[in-house]
Order: sequence, then C-alpha cells, then structure tokens
Amino acid sequence: MKTKNYLVLCVAVSAIVALTILFVPGLSDTIEREMLTFLSTNAR
Amino acid sequence: MKIARVCLQALGILLLIPVVALLTLRYDNRYADGPSILFPGGELVSGDLYTGPEPDWSFTREIPTIELQLNDPLSSRLIWILESNGKIYIASGYMSSFLGRLWKHWAVQADAGDGLAVVRINGIRYERQLVRIKEGPELDGVGASMAKYGSATTRQTIEAGNTWIFELAPRGT
Repeated sequence: MKTKNYLVLCVAVSAIVALTILFVPGLSDTIEREMLTFLSTNAR
Repeated sequence: MKIARVCLQALGILLLIPVVALLTLRYDNRYADGPSILFPGGELVSGDLYTGPEPDWSFTREIPTIELQLNDPLSSRLIWILESNGKIYIASGYMSSFLGRLWKHWAVQADAGDGLAVVRINGIRYERQLVRIKEGPELDGVGASMAKYGSATTRQTIEAGNTWIFELAPRGT
C-alpha cells in the first residue's frame, strides 16, 4: 500500500474507533471493565 | 521487501487501534462525575456535601482509595488515603524524577496553586485544603500509615522529596 493510502487508512481507522467508543452506549464502560479484568489477572 | 512493508503497515494499524481507544476513553471521561479506575474525571458533583465539625477520620483506615478533585485545574483522580493522629493525608510518589512529576502532575499543580480540593469518601463530599507537609515529626506517623499499602515510604524519603505528602486540612486553616 502506498504511503498516502496508508495514512488515509490510519485516519479512517482512528475516526471509526474513536466515534464508536464515544457514541455506542456502554461500550467505553465495557472496554474499561475488560481492561481492568485483564490487568488484575496479569499484572504482578 | 513488499511483504515486510505490508507486515509493518498491518502492525501499525494493530498498534494504532488500542492507542486511539485509550486516548478516546480518557477524553470521554474528562468531564465525568469523578474518575474511573484508569482515567481522571471531572468535577465531583454527586453526593452530600459534608458540613459540621471535623469528622473522626479513623474510618478511612479501612478505605483503600478516595476520589480527589482539585479546583484548579478542575479534574479528579483516585488516590490512596492515609490517617495519622486524627488527620488525613494523601501521597504522591516518584516526585524526585522527571517522569514522576510528569505522571503526578496534579501534585505539582496542587503545591503551586491554592490547594483547594474536594474529596469524596463513601459517597460524601468534603471540602478541603491541600497543605504540603515537607518535614516534621508528624511525617513519622504518616510514613507508618503507608504500611497499609505495603509501601516502604518513611519520614526520610518524604523529607528527601521522593514522596510528597499533603494534609487534607479543613478549609481556611
């Protein structure tokens, strides 16, 4: 993939991820809960 | 060569997704009513505002973390609480390093600013004044109370500036 196309893809992926987290109800809480579960299981 | 380029690009996307997700979660929580476990929050709004005589703070010995909100800048975070001789304190470690000061920037702001703060403990908000304690015998008791968290902090490490201690004093003292 050419650099220009790759950068466009990065911007698009970033926008989709950010907007999904911001506007899908409960998603941010779910992600944080899963992160905490992961950290509490694996962090020492 | 082309395969390596594609692999690197795919790796970049895979790294980009969690980074954007973390930044978005932090942004999303910036005006929340208090911090989450991982991210700072905004103004503490809910909960009764305590008025009356100075409480018996001994109950905080059983509490692992409280919510601390600075008035300037208006942001909140979870933090350990220490109780010694009827007074309550909070600590900020790693303050002798650049990274520590960057990480615990709230402590620098509290020390440089007016120190006005609100803490929420068990759902009740208390208006307090952060007063940094740099030296003195009361740090012996504060250091001892850090054992609650398995910390090796002592009066010496506090007076050396490695750990900053703030008393959560009543307003106007």
